[in-house]
Amino acid sequence: MSTHFLNVIWIALMVATVLTSFIGKNTAMGAGMVVIVLLISAIKGWLIIEDFMALRRVKFLWRGIMLGWLLLTLSVILLAYWLGIK
Amino acid sequence: MSRSLQKEGHKPLPYPPGDFAIWILILVELSVFFVLFAAYAFTRLMHLELFNEMQRTLDADAGLLNTLLLISGSWCVARAVAAIKRTLCRQSAHWLLAAILSGVGFLVVKYFEYGAKFSAGINLETNLFYTFYLSLTAFHAMHVVLGMIILAFVWKKAMTDGYSANDHGGMETGASYWHMVDLVWIILFPLVYVMR
Repeated sequence: MSTHFLNVIWIALMVATVLTSFIGKNTAMGAGMVVIVLLISAIKGWLIIEDFMALRRVKFLWRGIMLGWLLLTLSVILLAYWLGIK
Repeated sequence: MSRSLQKEGHKPLPYPPGDFAIWILILVELSVFFVLFAAYAFTRLMHLELFNEMQRTLDADAGLLNTLLLISGSWCVARAVAAIKRTLCRQSAHWLLAAILSGVGFLVVKYFEYGAKFSAGINLETNLFYTFYLSLTAFHAMHVVLGMIILAFVWKKAMTDGYSANDHGGMETGASYWHMVDLVWIILFPLVYVMR
């Protein structure tokens, strides 16, 4: 993987982190914002799994397990927060 | 290059990078963190006011800074692996050292964060939120320490040209564990510090 591509991923992750923090500090945390924050986390996790962990070129079984863990974890958290807002 | 060789070049790899055993450990660790995150989220559901009120007492900037440090550490490790694949041994070792320093930075921030809470009289028994906050973050910090120890061994070997473009499985093993520590924090940060 090119170092330039790794740099781009790093910058994207840093920007997404600052955006998450900004949302937490400056918005009322309704259902919409919870979904956005979890969506940002999903994208960050996906980038780490595919590009930093270098699973992009590995058989789908391994990527599937890792991405499945990410989606399951975020879905359970979303469910708990959705029930709380409801 | 023939078409068949080109196809071979794009064939998915059968196993993830590094030692297979580390991936078993990673899956076990992720399962444990899944249970802890679910326990936090559903316990919060039963104590919404307490969790929302207590979360405001956390230092969100410390959480942000630690997230930036761990992401940067992961980037450094990915650059170290990319460097060794080009047989840039010394450069690879420097990236590993930078990753270890990001871990040190993480622990320094945690030290001051915990210090502020402990001096305010907060501990594990203060309330349910702080039981979860201190347990979850301390458990994760233990993984940061273990990741730093692993990276330190990898760094030591890299400094003596112990890895090459064809033989760097050990470095990939350490890198995979470190990325797992980062991945877990990517969820822990919004869960504990951001979402109310």
